[in-house]
Amino acid sequence: MPKRQSGNKKGKQSNFAKLSIFQPNKYKFKKTCPLSAKGAPVVDYKNIKLLKKYVSENGKILPSRITNVSQKKQRELSLSIKRARNLALI
Amino acid sequence: MNLYEHTIIARQDTSPGELKQLTEKYSKIVEKYEGEVVKTENWGLLNLSYIIKKNRKGSYIHFKIKGKGKVIDELEKSESIDKKLLRYLTVRVKKFDLDIDYFGKKLENEKKESFKN
Repeated sequence: MPKRQSGNKKGKQSNFAKLSIFQPNKYKFKKTCPLSAKGAPVVDYKNIKLLKKYVSENGKILPSRITNVSQKKQRELSLSIKRARNLALI
Repeated sequence: MNLYEHTIIARQDTSPGELKQLTEKYSKIVEKYEGEVVKTENWGLLNLSYIIKKNRKGSYIHFKIKGKGKVIDELEKSESIDKKLLRYLTVRVKKFDLDIDYFGKKLENEKKESFKN
């Protein structure tokens, strides 16, 4: 058991080294929002193909922490998904 | 004057003739209350994702309306009584997206898939 613990600690340390201030930008672990980039598709209740990407298999809305959608776009998404549900499109 | 997008779903067993009558009936109501129908789209018979009043399919008609709020009041009043309709939805928009047609393309894709099968 003690051996394992030391192994864990080593693992943590190596992770910590990765997150130093001097790391290059490409190791940023936060992705940008896929809907607010340039040339992104318009969020609309008629655009079912897009909305289906942000809905789970059971028809629930996926949280933005999984999909990396920005707050503003997530609000638009949830509104248009609910509209599409009312029209039985989703 | 406001811009509205208005969608109605008719029962699955309405004939194309009856659908035309419906579109005429509702565009007449719009004109009666000083509104203007900019565009009508017929999305065709689509599968509903859940059953509404024992219907598995529904034919969708989409209006783009320019007018005052009273037009929408009168439209929804008469639509809520209509037995041929299943649902209706009105959305106020700032701009019409007249160039993008989401449902025309999709139907073509579905046809292609059915050919493959």
